[in-house]
Amino acid sequence: MFKVEDLKFKYPNNKEDVIRGINFEIKEGEIFGFLGPSGAGKSTTQKILIKILEDFRGKISYNGIDITEYGNEFYEEIGVSFEMPIHFSKMTCMENINFFLQLYKNNADCEALLKRVGLWEDRDKMVGEFSKGMKIRLNIVRALLNEPKMLFLDEPTNGLDPTNAMILKDMIKEFRKDGGTVFITSHIMSDIDQLCDRVAFIVEGQIKEIDTPRNLKIRYGNRTLKLEYKEDGKSVLKEFPMDDIGKNDEFLTLLQTKEVETIHSGETTLEDIFIKVTGVSLKDESE
Amino acid sequence: MNLNRLWVLVKGELSRLNKYNVTSISILIAIMWSIILFFVDEVALASLLPLILMLDATLMSVMYIGSVMFFEKSESTISTMLVTPSTSSELVLSKVLANTIHNIFSSALIIIAFFFIKHVEFNWFLIFLGIFAATAFHTIAGLYLAYFQKNFTGMLVNIMILAFVLLIPTALYEIGILTADFWKYLLLINPIQAAAEVIGGAFTGYVFTYVYYISLGYMIIGGLLVYRLLVLPKFHDYAIKQSGV
Repeated sequence: MFKVEDLKFKYPNNKEDVIRGINFEIKEGEIFGFLGPSGAGKSTTQKILIKILEDFRGKISYNGIDITEYGNEFYEEIGVSFEMPIHFSKMTCMENINFFLQLYKNNADCEALLKRVGLWEDRDKMVGEFSKGMKIRLNIVRALLNEPKMLFLDEPTNGLDPTNAMILKDMIKEFRKDGGTVFITSHIMSDIDQLCDRVAFIVEGQIKEIDTPRNLKIRYGNRTLKLEYKEDGKSVLKEFPMDDIGKNDEFLTLLQTKEVETIHSGETTLEDIFIKVTGVSLKDESE
Repeated sequence: MNLNRLWVLVKGELSRLNKYNVTSISILIAIMWSIILFFVDEVALASLLPLILMLDATLMSVMYIGSVMFFEKSESTISTMLVTPSTSSELVLSKVLANTIHNIFSSALIIIAFFFIKHVEFNWFLIFLGIFAATAFHTIAGLYLAYFQKNFTGMLVNIMILAFVLLIPTALYEIGILTADFWKYLLLINPIQAAAEVIGGAFTGYVFTYVYYISLGYMIIGGLLVYRLLVLPKFHDYAIKQSGV
C-alpha cells in the first residue's frame, strides 16, 4: 500500500538529516509499527507519509502512485490521529464531530463510534471540559470519521488508562479485521507487541530491523526453558537449552520425578530485543 | 476549489467567532460607538460616523483575524485541518470571508441604527461595497501579519504601531493640518486612507475624484494580490509551524 524508498529528510533549521535513508513497505491490511525512542524520527516519518512535510528526498508511493502526485483527495482515504489531542475546545464534542464530518465524502456512523469509546453520553459537553483521556478517545473517533482505508496513529495510547487503552487497541484490531491498514508510531513496547503484524525499530533516523514481533523474538530471544520445581521443601530453578529438549534426560527426569511449580520458555521482550539490536533504550533518549 | 466545502469552512469559522466571543465583543463595540455617536451633534456625526466605520473595517478587522489565528495557534487546530480534503486556498479564503461577513454585520448594526435614529443619509450600495472592500483587504493583510506574530500581546503592540504610522497622517490630513499636495499623493498608498475614501464615498457630500477610484482599486486589486502572492503561498509553512514542527 505504501512503499518508502531511501527516504531522507532535514528540517530547515537543522544541519543534519533527521531521517537518514530509510526503506520499508506497509502492506494492505496490516498493522505496521514504528518503535523507537523519542526523537528517533517516528513522528517525522508519519508527517511525511501524510503529506504534511513535503521537502523530503527519496520516493514514497501510495497504491503504486508517487504521493507527490496526489492532491487533497488523498485525505479522503486516510485518517490521522496526532500524538496531542487536537479539538476546538469551546465547541462540544458533537459540534467538533459534525464540523469535520461535513468535510468528507464518506461519513462513518459517529453515534456508534462515540458509544464504542464511551463518549456518547458526553457528546454535548464542551471539549475543553474533557479529561486528557476523553480527548484522546475523541482523537481516534475524529480519525475514523471518514471511514478511512488507512489509519495513521501517533502514540495512540499515550496518556490513556489501561481500560481505555484496551478499548482503543481493540478498535484498531477491528479496523484491521475490516480490511483497514494501520501505521502506528510508539515508544510503548507493549502497544507494538500486542497490535503490530510487523515492526520497524527506528533510532536516529535509521531503521535497524524490520520483522514480525514473533520472528524477532525467535531470532533474538533466548532459546531456553526455565523449570521451577520443589526439592526438600525449597523451590529450585533450572535452565535448559530449548534445542532437543525432548531428548534432554535431566529435564525429562525432573518432569517425571519432581513436583513442578512453573515452566517458562525464555522469550525475550521486544524492548530487550530493541536494546540488543539498536544499543539504545526506549526510555533513555529524549527529544 | 470545492464551493460546498468552502461554505462548510466559512460556517465553521463564523461559529467559532461566536463561540470564542469575538462576535460578542464586536457587537459590544458597535453598541458603544452607537451610544457615543448618539450624543454628538449633526456636524460632528457627519465626520465621525465614516471615521468609526473606517476604524471598524480596518484596525478592528486586523485585530479580529489576529485573535482568530491565535485561538487556532493555542489549540493547534490548524494541524487537524491540514489532514482534511480542504485545500490551503479553501482554508484561507474561508477565514477571509468569515471575518469580512462578521465585520460587515457589526458595521451594519451601526449604519442601521443611525439610519433610523438620526436619519443619516448614504448610498446603501456604496457603503456596503466600501466596507466589504476595506474589511476584506485588512483581513487579508491581518492574516499575513499574524504569520509573523509570536504572541497575542506582541500582535496588539504591532497593531498599535501600525495604527500610529498609518492612521495619524490620515487623521492630520482629514482635519487640515497636513495641507501640502505631497500628502495628498503620498496618502494614496496608505491602506487606511484608501479605506476612509471608499467608505466616505457612500455619504452625502463626498466629492468623487480619481482618488476614490484609485482607493477602491487599491482595496480590491491590492487585496487580491496580497492574498495570491503573500498570504496563500506562506499559509502551508505557517500551518506546519503551528503543528509543532
